[in-house]
Amino acid sequence: MSQTLEARARHLMKDPIGFFDNSITKMHRMPKEEVEALQRIGMSIRFKEHSKSIEILRNLTQRLGITEVKEFNDLVPLLFPHTVFKSYPPALLDKKRFDLLNQWLNKVTNVDISKVDVSGCDSIDAWLDRMDQQTPITIITSSGTTGTISLIPKGKEAFHYGMRVWRTFLFQTFGEEPTKASLYPDVDVIWPNFAGGRLGSLRLADYLKTEFTGGNERRFHALYPAALDTDLTFLASKMRAAASRGELDRLKIDPKLLARKAEFEAMQARAPQEMAAFLDKCMRELRGKRVLMIGPYNMLHDLAAEGLKKGIRNVFARDSAIMTGGGLKGYKVPENWRELVKEFLGVDRIQEMYGMSEVGVSNWACEAGHYHVQPWNIPYVLDPDTNEPLPREGVQTGRAAFFDLMNEVHWGGAISGDEITIDWSTPCRCGLASVHIHHDIMRFSEKQGVEDDRITCAATQQVTSEVIDFMRGYES
Amino acid sequence: MSAFNIPLFIRGQVIEQNWVQFGGRGGSAPFSAPDPQQYVDQLPLDSPIALRDLQEVSFAEILDLLEELGQALNFETNRYVQQAYAAALEAAPYPPSMLQGSYIGLPIYFARDRVREIAEQSIGLDYLEGWVGRTLQDGRQLRVRAFGARALHIPAGNGALISAITIIRNAITRSDGIIKIPSNDPLTATAIARTLADVAPNHPLTKHLAVGYWKGGDVAVEEKLYRPEHIEKIIAWGGFASVKHVTRYIQPGLELISLDPKRSATIIGPEAFASDEILEEVAMRTACDVGTANQEGCSCARVVYVLCGTDKEGLAKINRLGELIYEKLQQLPSHLSTKAKSFNRELRDHIEATRMDDTFYRVIGAKENEGGVIVSQFDEAVDYSPLLSGRVANLVPVDDITKVADAVTAYTQTVGIYPDSLKEQLRDLLPLFGAQRLTSLGYACHVAIAAPQDALEPLRRMCKWIVEETCDPRAVTPLWRLPDLP
Repeated sequence: MSQTLEARARHLMKDPIGFFDNSITKMHRMPKEEVEALQRIGMSIRFKEHSKSIEILRNLTQRLGITEVKEFNDLVPLLFPHTVFKSYPPALLDKKRFDLLNQWLNKVTNVDISKVDVSGCDSIDAWLDRMDQQTPITIITSSGTTGTISLIPKGKEAFHYGMRVWRTFLFQTFGEEPTKASLYPDVDVIWPNFAGGRLGSLRLADYLKTEFTGGNERRFHALYPAALDTDLTFLASKMRAAASRGELDRLKIDPKLLARKAEFEAMQARAPQEMAAFLDKCMRELRGKRVLMIGPYNMLHDLAAEGLKKGIRNVFARDSAIMTGGGLKGYKVPENWRELVKEFLGVDRIQEMYGMSEVGVSNWACEAGHYHVQPWNIPYVLDPDTNEPLPREGVQTGRAAFFDLMNEVHWGGAISGDEITIDWSTPCRCGLASVHIHHDIMRFSEKQGVEDDRITCAATQQVTSEVIDFMRGYES
Repeated sequence: MSAFNIPLFIRGQVIEQNWVQFGGRGGSAPFSAPDPQQYVDQLPLDSPIALRDLQEVSFAEILDLLEELGQALNFETNRYVQQAYAAALEAAPYPPSMLQGSYIGLPIYFARDRVREIAEQSIGLDYLEGWVGRTLQDGRQLRVRAFGARALHIPAGNGALISAITIIRNAITRSDGIIKIPSNDPLTATAIARTLADVAPNHPLTKHLAVGYWKGGDVAVEEKLYRPEHIEKIIAWGGFASVKHVTRYIQPGLELISLDPKRSATIIGPEAFASDEILEEVAMRTACDVGTANQEGCSCARVVYVLCGTDKEGLAKINRLGELIYEKLQQLPSHLSTKAKSFNRELRDHIEATRMDDTFYRVIGAKENEGGVIVSQFDEAVDYSPLLSGRVANLVPVDDITKVADAVTAYTQTVGIYPDSLKEQLRDLLPLFGAQRLTSLGYACHVAIAAPQDALEPLRRMCKWIVEETCDPRAVTPLWRLPDLP
């Protein structure tokens, strides 16, 4: 490989924003062949590094006898299932064996965390704090259905960089060169969520506070000023799993947490009123201002429908950024929800983004509603049953997988639980050259076994219970 | 295009028109059935008095007819059964070898001695044949008889046997039965009903059977049917969502007999490691409990607790046992167990993640759909154990007997135990945690139909227990003659 090409690939992997001169248009107009040439070099570089430095990848490559990757599909057997980040025994969290958890984590990341002293950590949050203080990694969590939470190590710098990517995309428009106002926004941030926590989305809050407000934290408006407790998130997962196993009757809950459960249930009961009051306050006090507002589809829609009924429209400055995503979670919104929200808030567009914490890349939607894959992110569509790659041509629907070239501290290849459609052969009607993912994305777990009317006498994971709804509202 | 049609059977009449299409989502084959909205009013019995004809049929006649029905269910000659088999190929998660086996075996369950044993063991023939008398302490003469009721059955679809049992139970109890077909066993109940109608066209047993499909949770159909004026008992198998859904209709006069969704477990004592021969046999027995019916049933083993200790030596033993069980799983006969037709994707993701590091778990097999064994290297099961399916077991080493109670939860049905002496040691303890049936290792899926099920007696519950008493004032002190309180 020519030195210049490799140097360019390394530049792309290290600083894609700089590589494309801060322009998202340049980023997504690079010809496919050029992007792919850089990606091939990039993945080869990462493979060489990580197959030595990350133990579970080393084990896998040895087991499979893979010594190099040249073509995109060479990488497919090495893509990790998304479950890898919760493959530790949950008993370790339960028994607060953070020493053993770190041994496990040490195999998932190439950062040496074996020397971290976890003595005295009496809660998950205390342990995560300790990791934040003593290592260059930050661990983000996500909740699951099997009784535990994913623990995904991220490089602090890379995570921060991800926020810069957000900033680059939130205020720019495809097809227009960036301006000072779009690159360095100075806005009020509306964040209808907890102001902190370890869930992927909540970890962002820290950066939102400073990156978008010109450093003025008073312009960061969160629904709850406190952080969401990770121990409580874990408890919610644990209860959900215990319910599905028929073990709620012997679930042992830390008395300290049990006391807080009541507090949170009360909070959950108050949540609808508090959310309404919070949004009402934001709409009044920030009227006409340039804002960044982030919220789920149904929240934005309900807010707009309510407001328009009262005759309110054009609430914020036109150059505000409104961002949504995260799936509908069973809510139904009318087809014209976008128009309603735009009319009410007074903006020209609503930003949508698709990504997965296990990879860490945000892929932003264009005006046509297609998610454009970032050039440092190699997308795959896999056969949902065999995980074999589907051809990179024509229209393909299957399981989404990605390889993120930027990831330094963990292996960047992961297979999601989502069904996506990619049209590899037709350029997006928005005019961008990059690979684009169809707007409709569905989780396989939501798709499978939903109302198919099959009955078996065996108890399955599907079991639900009122008690496990506890906390659901807080996991955004 | 529908893969098959499910006709509606109403008390001997077969309806094959006004088709509407169902299913076809999530990979399931689409099929058609007569529009349930149009026929729901015809499903229930006109009046409770209409059950009278069936109460008057002698039990001997019921046995005769069921025996004849069983013989007519011959897979080679009965086209309804052949249709049921063809539909199951589309709708059930089993391969041809297993499905054929289950249809070939169908007649056995209707054999006279089998049915009589179920009736005798579960209810008592006397109570089914007439009034059973006794004299109580206060002198009254009491007579008790088990009457049939107007029942609705929501059977599970994981096996033709469940449809057969449902019809047999309905006949034994002299009940009026409406069967709601599960989409994963679309035609078995219909095939049996149509054969019954051919064998005995106007017999009360035929006139008290209706079989049809409507979508579970179709409120428009269910609200018309699930009412105390039409139905007295709903017998629902498994399916958490479906049982939960049915509860909304339960009210005074309409009772739910819930055969809850269940899972089963295994406990193996240290005696298993006494010799190589014994270990081989224990492995085969465990494989049989795990693999029968491709682990689709509630009685199939999933998590296996082994009293081998968690030290180095214990782990070596359990890893060896894991290898053997994996080997034996591959050797099970094809009518009993095969490679899974499809494998749960979520489970696959978990297994692949588990395989990446062997500190806490060791994965044997499960490379394709052949099944596998996950051997825990400490005394906890994998957190995704409720997902275990497609012949995947999780072996868990434990140090002592107090820990084996972990094997049993509120959702546990069967516990297969080796050796039998350990079973006796545990039988007074495990039921308190939730176990409902303890059996010799290797027999978990070899279920006795004449025994209580899911810790209750469904046949007794299906009956109405009616009391007739005679009180002679000379023997039983009349209330009106009681002296005043001082």
